Amino acid sequence: MDIMATPPRVLNSLASSSGVKARKFADRTATVVLWCMASSIILLLAAFIIYMFWIGARYLTPAFIFGLPAETSAGGGIGPEIYNSFYILILTLIFTVPIATAAGVYLQEYARPGRFRELVVFSAESLATVPSIVMGLFGLLVFVYLFKWKFTALGGALTLTLLNLPALMRVTQEALSSVPDSFREASMGIGATKWQTILRVVLPSAIGRMTTGIVLIAGRIFGETAALIFTAGLSVSTNSPYDINPFHTAETLAVHLWYTHTESIVPDVDRIGNGSALVLLIMVLVFNISARVGGRALSKRLTGRPS
Amino acid sequence: MFRNAAIAALALGFSISIGAQAALADVSLTAAGSTALLPLVKDAAGAYQTAHPDVKISVSGGGSGTGINQAAAKAIDIGDSDILAPTHPELVDHKVAVTGFAVVVNPDVTVKSLTKQQIQSIFDGTVTNWKQFGGQDQKIVVINRTLGSGTRVVFEKTVMAPDKLVDSGLTEDATGTVISVVKQTPGAISYAAFSGTHGQPVTELAIGGVAATEANVVTGKYPFWSYEHMFTNGPATPDVQKFIDYVSNATDLLNKNAFLKVGAMKVTETDR
Amino acid sequence: MIASIAQRAHRNERIALNVLRFAAYFVIFAMAVLLLYLAVEGTKTFFVDRFSLFSFLFSPTYDLDSNHPGAAIFIVGTLLVTVFAIAVGGPFGIAVGVFLSEIAPPRMALVLKPAIELMVGIPSVVYGWLGLVFLVPIIREHTSSASGFSLAGAGIVLAIMILPTVISLSEDAFTSLPQALREGSFALGATRFQTIVRVLLPSASTGLAVALILGIARAVGETLAIQLVIGNATAFPVNVFAPTATLTTVIVGQMPSATEGSLQEHALFSMAFLLLIIAMLLILVVRFALRKRS
Repeated sequence: MDIMATPPRVLNSLASSSGVKARKFADRTATVVLWCMASSIILLLAAFIIYMFWIGARYLTPAFIFGLPAETSAGGGIGPEIYNSFYILILTLIFTVPIATAAGVYLQEYARPGRFRELVVFSAESLATVPSIVMGLFGLLVFVYLFKWKFTALGGALTLTLLNLPALMRVTQEALSSVPDSFREASMGIGATKWQTILRVVLPSAIGRMTTGIVLIAGRIFGETAALIFTAGLSVSTNSPYDINPFHTAETLAVHLWYTHTESIVPDVDRIGNGSALVLLIMVLVFNISARVGGRALSKRLTGRPS
Repeated sequence: MFRNAAIAALALGFSISIGAQAALADVSLTAAGSTALLPLVKDAAGAYQTAHPDVKISVSGGGSGTGINQAAAKAIDIGDSDILAPTHPELVDHKVAVTGFAVVVNPDVTVKSLTKQQIQSIFDGTVTNWKQFGGQDQKIVVINRTLGSGTRVVFEKTVMAPDKLVDSGLTEDATGTVISVVKQTPGAISYAAFSGTHGQPVTELAIGGVAATEANVVTGKYPFWSYEHMFTNGPATPDVQKFIDYVSNATDLLNKNAFLKVGAMKVTETDR
Repeated sequence: MIASIAQRAHRNERIALNVLRFAAYFVIFAMAVLLLYLAVEGTKTFFVDRFSLFSFLFSPTYDLDSNHPGAAIFIVGTLLVTVFAIAVGGPFGIAVGVFLSEIAPPRMALVLKPAIELMVGIPSVVYGWLGLVFLVPIIREHTSSASGFSLAGAGIVLAIMILPTVISLSEDAFTSLPQALREGSFALGATRFQTIVRVLLPSASTGLAVALILGIARAVGETLAIQLVIGNATAFPVNVFAPTATLTTVIVGQMPSATEGSLQEHALFSMAFLLLIIAMLLILVVRFALRKRS
């Protein structure tokens, strides 16, 4: 109970406020107002979700989810777009996870405070501030024009890697910092090198948090649009819609939603829009829930601790 | 860490090898550009791929400017465009069809025909209310096309000239979105190709009393038309040429999408 | 045998360290290349095409036919839409942050916090689409806007999108305040509301400023959600219900058709470079503020 912690200016203003009743009224009103504001957010979100299900659920037929997109007529599906969303997601993670984890481990466990460390942190933070559209332009310059790849899933994935490196680095660092130092000390105490400690003790300990973070970032990658428009392209081929070749033009579901509403020539724009948005929402929900559940389960398996 | 890196390297190498194989085995074509030509190209691509299962064709829109630009950058094989590309001498022009364009208005608007001068006065900003042309007392909502649109250039050349377009209203990117905005917005006016306007719940204005039909385009009485070009960077490769020839000869697809064969025209133009 | 195990362990240690250091170098390299490339492309408008920087920033005429790409309309558009979003989302976000930190009982927090995380996860294109199918018709029916595409629509969508950022950072700002502050205030007989307004808010002001600045950074860089509802008109909005355009929407709208090497392409890259500079400046301000606090 340290009254000294409250600044003198504030002490004076508190002491001079008028009437207990007035103050209590203000307090109660404010509480009500804040409760309303907070509840309105939950209501807003619930309203969004219910609205999207209401206008979109009827379109989620197998023909829609697995069908090919329509050329100019009604009745198209989004199968290849969903495939491309996952394809690019996995490809992006293949690049991002190793590099970001490595950089994060370096920053957290090895780097001594100094110019080099500051530079890495600054670079990561700067990369994080680049707007996704600007990153997409960079990808266009490098992969489509300079490398002459044209529009490819690989180009999109590499662009997304740059975009998500900082986030995953932060996840790694936070996960590593949550591992108690006693683990490291005990391990080194029995003669392990620093690297052995990290590889076999610290990382497995941190895996729960890392998984949660990676899955949440995966959810963001799944919904990414601006960076992919100029790198992965706006179309899929009807003859090979489920192409394994990473150099194929890969329109993802999120890009398709945007494309349908800016270049639409199919008469059933609403159907495709509402259905696609709902599928995207469901995927986000799935990623969100499995991030928590999966992270906790993995952690219990590998370390016996819940996280 | 090592394991991850090794797996990543292997996966990449694996993918690249598949990519090389696939690139050698199948024919892969990309076409992009004009949203006016898009319905025809998409229908043709569908039919062509059914007939030739070893060919992969990807088609998208983006506007004539995009088509020209990306063909010039060799990012795509075929650039679809409503207009010529005089600033890109390396692009080879293949005229595949002729299309008419219509000035469309929201169905609530009671005006059904306008002269060229009247249209110009709307799009240069001087006239702002439908009542000045005998319509209701309703604000004219002008919707233009974006700068990369070939439709816009054709409009400027054949209807607006010598007057200048004033670009201060809404702009929409593609044929499809223009139609959906016009049909929802009372008092709206815009312009798009027949492939997007015929059969839609919007009114196609007659220009100077001449109705917006293919028959009037053929005779040249209706001024708002252009050739549809498929540009290739350099001469077309045999695979690309086969597809281009297919598009220009697909009579039923041309008719379905309100295009005309180049040879059917009774007048010719060289500026578009 | 034991010596060779130790040797192997040390060799692995050195290899691992080099691999990790390589990853760190890659991050620096990526950022440097990005910055360089954008700086080079973004300044061609001024060095190669000899268009004046002053005109680019302040001229409201964007006319490519006369080689005059003045970006003032778009800069103002970005500014207006951001101000709108912060004006609506800022206070609301801080209020809910306060709520989460000071008032919410654990069960309420258990519902609210996941809800906010879910909001973060929803893709921006879905927000834009919701604005398009839900908000635009409402604006069209009930305001002076003829088409429903407006600055207000974009501002509202953006406000909702930055809410989670502002809320969680505000909450952090409050929870990190020492408990002694609250206890001291209560000991003097202040109500909770008085404590929040007169004691906690001033003390958390740096953290709240950071929350707002990061919300601004998010708003400045948003592209597609805005593009679907703002109308893309190359003009200053006459009122809050009129359409306009921002730096991000004009880039995504015109880049595909901008010929490589043309003035248009250079101008668009200058806009992208400008966006990057604005974002980096905002982050520098945040770092400066955080450093001052500690």
